[in-house]
Amino acid sequence: MTDRCVEVLERLVEGVTGTVPPDERAAVAGHLASCARCRDEAASLEAVAARLHAGARFVAPPGFWEEFMRRLADRIEEERAPAGARLRRWLASPRHALGTAVVTAVTVLAVFAAVRTIPPPSDPVVIRARGLVTATMTSSLPSLGEMLDVWRAGLVHETDSVVDRGAR
Amino acid sequence: MDAEDRQLLRAFTRGEESAFTALVIKYRESVYRVARRMLGNHEDAADVAQEVFIRAHRALPRFDGRSQLYTWLYRITVNLCLDLRGRSSRLPLLDDEDGARDRSGIPAAEDEAEGREAGRLVARAVAQLPPRQRAMTVLRLYQDLPYQEIARIMGCSEGTVKATMFAALRKLRRVLVEEGVRAP
Repeated sequence: MTDRCVEVLERLVEGVTGTVPPDERAAVAGHLASCARCRDEAASLEAVAARLHAGARFVAPPGFWEEFMRRLADRIEEERAPAGARLRRWLASPRHALGTAVVTAVTVLAVFAAVRTIPPPSDPVVIRARGLVTATMTSSLPSLGEMLDVWRAGLVHETDSVVDRGAR
Repeated sequence: MDAEDRQLLRAFTRGEESAFTALVIKYRESVYRVARRMLGNHEDAADVAQEVFIRAHRALPRFDGRSQLYTWLYRITVNLCLDLRGRSSRLPLLDDEDGARDRSGIPAAEDEAEGREAGRLVARAVAQLPPRQRAMTVLRLYQDLPYQEIARIMGCSEGTVKATMFAALRKLRRVLVEEGVRAP
């Protein structure tokens, strides 16, 4: 096989499928006239291409396109519907509704289990903060006395609940 | 892009839904045939064709018009078919071409029976090709697409398409010879 044969074989596929420009077709044909091997290859490939090309064309079953267009229009309409409506439709399906219920139940149980396993703070910030409110602070900020009393009352309440939880 | 497609596309982006329907009617059979040749059965081909137009409806307003509309639709079709075939481990179900009619009109009864049998063997041979080879063969030999368009659809060079087609034809020749199919 010569280099020219390799070159021609590369063009052959275009030749047998009918896309070689006329000028190149003449060059390929020139080589085929003098090379029996390439000629055989070309003939057999051309026969295969022709066999495929002549193959029957698929035709959809009767009534298919009417149903196809109806289904397509429905799906496009569905895509256009607002998210809320799509969600309601999705939930209306028993399989989807059951799936959603299972996922929700598992999520709630997982969150509940996680909250129960978190330990209460052993040295809460509120306990340490109470020690910082001194008589000196109160006397130096007389105008804030009333607000401070409210704040202190809140701290006492929170600390008590922390102590209660600890005792439990 | 051809003038009619451009006009329909413009109308669709203006909000005329009927323009999209016109495009579907224009291209649905080609899309279906590519899918059916690729997948080998009516049900999968029908699903893919449906999905192609759903995706087209979503993406058409962003279509830049630099390629032919059919090139773009075929690319979606081929990708969906390759994806479906990749997900499914089963071999393509083979049509017996009962739902097919010959291009050249209504043949005589004997020729019809012979033609149907040959058509079935050809379909089986095509189904034995690796998916990308099959896609290129379908686009070239059944859809008559130029190599340049096929390269664009398959995302490769023209040279790759030609080399792949060459390999595909040789494989088909071997299979058809084994099956005893003679040239038409």
